[in-house]
Formats: sequence, structure tokens, C-alpha cells
Amino acid sequence: MIDRRKFITLLGSGTLGMLLNGCGGGGGGGSSDTSTGTGGTGAVSPTVPASGVSGRVVVVGGGMAGATVAKFLRLWGGSGLDVTLIERDRQYQSNILSNLVLTGQRSMASLAYTHDKLSSAYGVKVVYGNVAEIDPAGKRVHLADNSSLPYDRLVLAPGIAFDTLPGLETAGDRIVHAWQAGPQTVTLQQQIAAMNAGGVFVLTIPKTPYRCPPGPYERACVVADYLKTRKAGSKVIVLDANASIAAEPVTFDTAFNFTHAGVIEYHSGVTINSIDPSTQTLDTSAGLIRGDVLNPIPPQRAGAIVSNTAGLANVNGRWAGVDVRSYESTALAGIHIIGDANGSTQPKAGHIANAEAKVCADAIVRILAGGSPDPSPVTNSACYSPITASTASWLTVVFGYDSATGTMKAVPGAAGEASSATRGNYDDMFVWFNNLMGDTFA
Amino acid sequence: MIKKTSACLAALMLLGGPAFAQSADSGRLLASNCFQCHGTNGRPSVSGFDRLAGSSSSEIYSELKEMQGKTVGNDIMKVHARGYTDTQLRAISAYFAAQR
Repeated sequence: MIDRRKFITLLGSGTLGMLLNGCGGGGGGGSSDTSTGTGGTGAVSPTVPASGVSGRVVVVGGGMAGATVAKFLRLWGGSGLDVTLIERDRQYQSNILSNLVLTGQRSMASLAYTHDKLSSAYGVKVVYGNVAEIDPAGKRVHLADNSSLPYDRLVLAPGIAFDTLPGLETAGDRIVHAWQAGPQTVTLQQQIAAMNAGGVFVLTIPKTPYRCPPGPYERACVVADYLKTRKAGSKVIVLDANASIAAEPVTFDTAFNFTHAGVIEYHSGVTINSIDPSTQTLDTSAGLIRGDVLNPIPPQRAGAIVSNTAGLANVNGRWAGVDVRSYESTALAGIHIIGDANGSTQPKAGHIANAEAKVCADAIVRILAGGSPDPSPVTNSACYSPITASTASWLTVVFGYDSATGTMKAVPGAAGEASSATRGNYDDMFVWFNNLMGDTFA
Repeated sequence: MIKKTSACLAALMLLGGPAFAQSADSGRLLASNCFQCHGTNGRPSVSGFDRLAGSSSSEIYSELKEMQGKTVGNDIMKVHARGYTDTQLRAISAYFAAQR
């Protein structure tokens, strides 16, 4: 009896896939889509099978969700699947760890990723440009340069858009939210660095759902930690529109009341009416609050392409309703929405956007092969949050499909947070981050 | 062409054909939940978390069961492992065992 497992190991999964597909006969042109790229530590990219299903998939948005779905459509669908990724920017600036740019611990460049491996290792066609509109009936994506792309399946991964807070639009660079990593992140870092001892940093948190539930609390912690040693007597005032801490309540309650006691002042149930940039004052439900640096995080909605495509934003008028077995829109057939832009029960964050993208890629491959999506998908959310310059916490939730409600529900017993912020978690945070980015972009 | 066909047939016979393809397929999406931390197909980009590719199925399965059953301490895998049924853990383990 030949040891089957050993045989597979010897043969290699890529070769095996090619052999099996070759026997099947069907599929695309059989172009040689072998990968030669290597990752930062010499990890070899998996091989795209030489054939597989055929069809045209267009992906809009090359962030965590969009990059992942493009990669896995090719990896699992094979070279017969024509995958085009449309992205506005040449580089993706990671939101994850961008709070460490505020404290000077990370550079923006160290958090920048390209789409190069998606094309060189997986054969994804990357088009840099802006989408003007979608024609769901004609199944075409129209770009701003008047070109257009036909699709059999369209995946939208546009991330989030921000509401305007009264006053914020006239503030220019003086008041920024920096909730989308980019130039505002650098502006906020400079504002914090320029604070005097005894200064006041005011952070406001919108009602859920917003991008990265632990993110604002994490920001309060790392900014407080920075100010403590460099700007003695400074304060971080947190104004939370939610009734209580929206993520990792034990971790952040401990951080606010013990680790950063005397620096962080946390107020729940406070909403923002308007901002006066000339006096650096917030008009809030708790009265007027002045700060040397104001950092209001506005309420959010799905990225513009979702709002601009009639019917898609059918969850509270803000998010795209989807069938979480495939992430296909509940309004428009053939259009899938993954990541922060959909209105699923899952959190809006990079790690789970990656998981949603895989469920979507698997479903599209099955559908194009004449089958149907996995009836019981599983996803997971996981995240490490820095609490000080050398400690971090974590959270994890596993979600399973609940057929009774048609939603992803946390599996009982499989949701939790770290019992304390530790140095070990801090080190693990970078392992997690680097592997997550590798799984997404390389 | 003939050579290619016979090689394919040999491979199919050795692997048990469609049954194998089906089981690898069902484990793949489940196992992809591990990729974010352990790398695509269980091959990490950086060291620090376990490489899962190529470990034996029984080794991966027994480790996951052990994490699931932990009654003391608190680490991320103890919580995470509880998200999967026994059947799912077996499918995940088989998937990684089949990776290089």
C-alpha cells in the first residue's frame, strides 16, 4: 500500500492540480501561469493551476478584501479565470498598525504594499484607474477614462466613506480624522509631536458599525503612552458615541483605569454636534470641549461605488446587504460586496475582510463551475492591539453561518480577548501582521 | 499526449480520484481561516507561528484538540480552536497535511 499522504507531499500540490486539471480537459487556454516570486523570507508563492473554471471577474478595490479575493480567485479558480483588479492607488497604505505611525514607532513606508505580486505570481490583471459607474444589466464596469470592462461576476471592495461633520470640512489640515491611513496619518503625527506639556488630545468615536472596532481605543492608549513620557501632564479625552466600549471591554477598561489612569479620560454616550476649527472646540451632547489636537472620527458608510449604484446600499441606507454564503448582493445579481462595505454581522476590519474574500472567491469558483456556494462557511476575526509601546492585547471571534437567520453568528465559546496586555502579545502582533499581509498581497 | 494521459490516470488511481478532490476541496475553504496567521496554505511569510504545511494530519488534529480542551490559561488559539467542530478540525488537518 503506497502511503498516499507521502505521495502527495512528493508530488506537490501544484503539480497535482495541474495533472488533475489536465485530465479534465476543459478550462482555459493552458497558459503557463507558474509562480516564481518569493516573499520576504523566501516563502514561495503557491502555483496557479494551469486551467480550472473559465469566466471574467472584475474586482474593484485593492485593499485587504480586494487583494485577497483577486489572489484566491486565481489560486483556486486557475488560469482559465480572467481576473482584473481595478485600483485607484499604486500603493496600499495599511490601516493596521497605522496608530504606531502616530507615536513614531512605524514609518508610513514600512506599512505600504503594492499589487505587484498579484500580477507577477498569480496572473491578476491590475488596472490603475477610477471607476465611473457600474452597469448591472449590461454587466460592465465603466472607468473614468471612458474604457469599460465586461464581467461575469463583479466583486466590490471599496472600503468605507466618511460622513461630513459640521465644521470639519472647513478645517483643512488643522483637524483630521486619520481613519484612512495616508497623508492625514502624517498630519496627526505631526500635531501630536508639536503638542506642549499639559496639552489636551480629544478623540471622538462614532456609533457602531465603524471600521476597526478596537482601533479608536487602541489609538487613545498609544497616544496616552506617548504623551506620558514626552509631554508631561497631558490628557487624552475620549468621547464615545457608544453606550460603552465597543471592543475588548476588559482590555480597554483596564488600560483606561489602570495602565493609563490620570491620562485617559473616557466618556461614553457623547455625540458630536459640530466642530469650531477657529477655537479648536467641539460642540457635543456633553457641552463644549476644547483640545489642542482634535481627532474626530466621523460616522461611516460603504465606499462611494456602493452608494452610487442604485439598490446596493440596502442596509440602513449605508451598507450593502449580502448573502454571506457568497457575498452576492441581496439586491443585484452577479455583484458581490466584501470587506468593510457590506452590512453583514461581522466586524469591519482587515483580518476578517481577508476571510470574507476567501468565502467569496470560493463561491464564485463554484458558481462558475456550475455548482453552488459552500452552504456553511466559517470566517474568523482576529486582531492584536498595542496598549503601550511594548505591550499588546488580542481578540478573536470565529463566525459560522446560521441558516435560521441567514447571518454569520459567533460560534459559542469561540470569542474572547486577552486577559492582559503583554510583551509576548506585542511580539506576536508583528508576526500576525506580516503573515496577514503576506496572505493578502504576496 | 498518450504519455500525459497515462500519467494522469496513474495519478488518479493512486489518489483515489474524485473522492480525494472532494475532500481536499471541502477542507480548503475551512483551512483558509488559518492562512492569515500561518501563511497561505500553511506556509508563513515570517517565523513566529507554526508552519502547518506538511505536518501530519494526526499531529495537527491532536494539537488543535488539545488547545480546544485547555481549561487553564488564556491564549488566542485556545479560544480560536473552539470555533470548529471535530469534523471541521479533521478536514483542516487533512488539508495542511497534503500541502508541501
